[in-house]
Amino acid sequence: MGAEGKTGDVLQGTLDLLILKTLSLGPQHGWGISQHLLQVSREALQVNQGSLYPALQRLERQGWVEAEWGLSENRRRARFYRLTRAGERQLAAETDSWRRFTGAVERVLAGAR
Amino acid sequence: MSARSELRVRLGALFSRRRLDRDLDAELAFHVEMETARAVAHGFDPAEARRRALVAFGGVTQAREGVREERGAAAVEDLARDLRIALRGLVRSPAFSAAVVLTLALGIGATTAVASAVVGVLLRPLPFLDPEELVVVWETDRASGTVHEPASVPDYLDFRERSRTLAGLAAFEGRQVGLAAPGGEPARLDALAVSAEMLALLGVEPLVGGDLPAAAHLPGAGGPPAVLLGEALWRERFAADPRIVGRSVAIDDVPAVVAGVLPRQADEGLRRVLAAADYGGAFGGQRRQRVDLWLPLRPDPVASPRDTHPIFLLGRLAAGASLDAARQELAAVAADLEAEHPENAARGTHVEPLREVVLAPLARPLFVVLAAAALVLVTACGNAAHLLLGRGVARRRETAVRVALGAAGRDLLRHHLAEAALLALGGCALGVGLAAGGLGALRALAPADLPRLDSVALDPRALLLAAALALAACLAFALPPTAQARRRAAPAALLGARAGAPSGPGGHALRSGLVVAQVALALLLTVAAALLARGFWTLAAVDPGFRAEGVLKAELILPASRYPGDFARWPAWDEIHGVRRRVVERIERLPGVEAAAAAAYHPLDRGFVNSFAVVGREAEAAGWPEIRVRQVDAGYFAALGLPRLEGRLFAAGDGTGRERVAVVNRQAARRFFAGRSPVGQRVRMWGQEWRVVGVSGDERVHGLAEAPPPALYVPLAQAPARSVVLLARTAGDPLALAPAVRAAVRAEDPALAVFGVEPLAATVAASLAEQRFVLLLVLAFAAATLALAAVGLYGLLAHRVALERHELGVRQALGATPRQVVALVLSRGARLAAFGLAAGLLLAVAGSRLVGALVFGVGPGDPTAWALAAGAVLAVSLAATLLPARRATAVEPTIALRAG
Repeated sequence: MGAEGKTGDVLQGTLDLLILKTLSLGPQHGWGISQHLLQVSREALQVNQGSLYPALQRLERQGWVEAEWGLSENRRRARFYRLTRAGERQLAAETDSWRRFTGAVERVLAGAR
Repeated sequence: MSARSELRVRLGALFSRRRLDRDLDAELAFHVEMETARAVAHGFDPAEARRRALVAFGGVTQAREGVREERGAAAVEDLARDLRIALRGLVRSPAFSAAVVLTLALGIGATTAVASAVVGVLLRPLPFLDPEELVVVWETDRASGTVHEPASVPDYLDFRERSRTLAGLAAFEGRQVGLAAPGGEPARLDALAVSAEMLALLGVEPLVGGDLPAAAHLPGAGGPPAVLLGEALWRERFAADPRIVGRSVAIDDVPAVVAGVLPRQADEGLRRVLAAADYGGAFGGQRRQRVDLWLPLRPDPVASPRDTHPIFLLGRLAAGASLDAARQELAAVAADLEAEHPENAARGTHVEPLREVVLAPLARPLFVVLAAAALVLVTACGNAAHLLLGRGVARRRETAVRVALGAAGRDLLRHHLAEAALLALGGCALGVGLAAGGLGALRALAPADLPRLDSVALDPRALLLAAALALAACLAFALPPTAQARRRAAPAALLGARAGAPSGPGGHALRSGLVVAQVALALLLTVAAALLARGFWTLAAVDPGFRAEGVLKAELILPASRYPGDFARWPAWDEIHGVRRRVVERIERLPGVEAAAAAAYHPLDRGFVNSFAVVGREAEAAGWPEIRVRQVDAGYFAALGLPRLEGRLFAAGDGTGRERVAVVNRQAARRFFAGRSPVGQRVRMWGQEWRVVGVSGDERVHGLAEAPPPALYVPLAQAPARSVVLLARTAGDPLALAPAVRAAVRAEDPALAVFGVEPLAATVAASLAEQRFVLLLVLAFAAATLALAAVGLYGLLAHRVALERHELGVRQALGATPRQVVALVLSRGARLAAFGLAAGLLLAVAGSRLVGALVFGVGPGDPTAWALAAGAVLAVSLAATLLPARRATAVEPTIALRAG
């Protein structure tokens, strides 16, 4: 993420996961997603616009999120994204595999000490 | 789930990229705005806040690009994946795929080939300058009711001078000339003699050289005549040598200077004008369309007076002049001429667009053939639809499994559409190949007088149309199985593991409807084919009045250079009489020859007509139509088996210096000698009197389809002609005589070109070429449609039998006899066939009217044809039903029970 521009598969998958997780808390627009990630990660994850919107497009196409126009908290027209049922399943599966992945990496790192 | 939103995104991406981009821009703008607002809240001034927001975000453009890339790449990627998977699926069921592709290719190929030919022959503009302005000016004769007569030379000159609605008026006539070939066989060439205006009027530019020099068209022009070569002759005979211009070639032994070479398309359709005349000119028996030589025509009103009508007139409408205006003006001119000249009594004019004269007679036969081809395509699409529907049904379990495993409806849809598209594309690719072959076959089959077919290429529009229809059919019929699979909840189909006894009334109704439609179309085409066949056989069985079997025909034209014919000495043209008599004698002496004869024209050549009168009834004769004059020698009647009905026929004694005699045919005897015997009466023709010595049978010199015209026979010895048709009768194969006949001519004069050597029966057959062409094509298309319908019917019934193995087994186990099982399946087939026949009968009633005009001798309601067609469709349907019925009885009751 961040300013790396093109992201590799792993990182791309990670961004997808983070977006899905964010949306599992409720419908949100693109800016709201980026704010949420920023705050929750304590400003560690600054998502570039150039990565965020293509990712949303990708998730929408795969049917994991749906989008529609609505009004933002400050009464502006904004595009809201919502998690679909398939998206929920995907989130569960991804979370699971992420945990296994990081757990494995953690164990390797612990063993290498 | 989001199948619909997916489709929306996808279609949106395809069709309203701009709207999507607007949405994206709005979304990104909102983002930047919010970011700016946040910075302002942190205490930055608005401009700085906005700058920071943009920096923080890495630019709007980058985001936009990223989203677009995501959209585009996805579409291409998914399409490629869908097609790959579909292709794999199709390869796994090669029989299915091959059946669909072949069926579609057949329909697409047939339709594209025929449509290309029809477009190329009928709809392409004639290759002349502003061709829609070109008109043919005919003379009419109220006495005989003819409206397509060539003009007289003086009339032509008057029309040309007095008309204001025509910007130009050219005259032309057909000729045949000999071209001496150094060291080779002399050749007969088809030539067109044209007046000075002709090329400019057509807007034709010579390939090399120039137009005929103006002086060449003047009556009595001195010096060697000039000629133009046709492009085809120039390439064949002169190796396309441009230096031919200015060189001399021997035309009928007379040296002529080549002025230039005309392009191939310069003659397009012109010879059909000659053939359109009510009294076909010198080209009567010739069906070739090519013009090899263009000669100057010298319209000489002295040599060719008002009462002879040798020339054809081609005019160009003046700017702003309508066809109607030209018609009215020329009618007025003709009326003036009628008042001025007694020879023009009852004469008028008839103006037709050139295009109509050349192409109108072809429209109906070609459109009938096109309609037949289109019906093949429709039926083929029906069969492809069957196969796709059947595959959908057979794959219901696979589909159900995929749905249960989470495949979205849109995935199935995409998959099926990709499959259908691949099949349609395969059909198109193979169809193009078939169409190319089909076009070649069309060229080979087509009658020689069908113009322009040689220059016809496959028409991409025709191909596109056929392919679009095939694609639409495939896509349309790929959808129902998908819809069914989605409607039917997965569990039911999964559990109905017995390959779905409840195979869905919807699918069956659709497929039954398809079969009914196919049988109906098959009947329509079969009726059309049966009517055409009945017409053709009726026509072929018509007694031409002469016996063509066993007769060999060969033609000569005696050039004036070696066979002088001085009109002052006519008919004492000794050289002409001498060579003709000697050649006939040589042929008579050939082994195997039973009889030999000579005539000016062969019996299917219209020859020419002349006015005549019975001596003593001249006033009455003024209103008579002109009569066909046939110059024949004494052996002609015997060689062709023409019966003597009264008096005597010609004898060797009816020589040049003797009393002039004539024979009339039965038609002439009836028409002009009503109630009295013609024998002993005198007729006046060519300013001379001829004593009628006998009555002969009728020959259908206008072709088999037309009634024989009244004809007057005169002895060649008393009325010599430069054109000589040799006729030799043999008990064996007439073609075997050909070398000996050629040798007989060569022995007399090695420089004479012998042409038109063929059995007379072949000449008769060639006169039916157009009817045969239409019949063969419609017959082939009817057979194809019938076969497709039978396959459709068979497929449907066999499929049901396969699905109902269990039920059939139960029935048999419960005591149904095999006969009852067969009856069950047969009744199903019979019901479908009956519906199809009923619908087809309605269609055929309408279709038979379209075809009726092409059918000779029988009406569109000919019961034999209808019975034959219905019988054929019924029999084929029955055969298609019997096989599945037999298979139904082969179901072992116990196996079926166990399987259940």
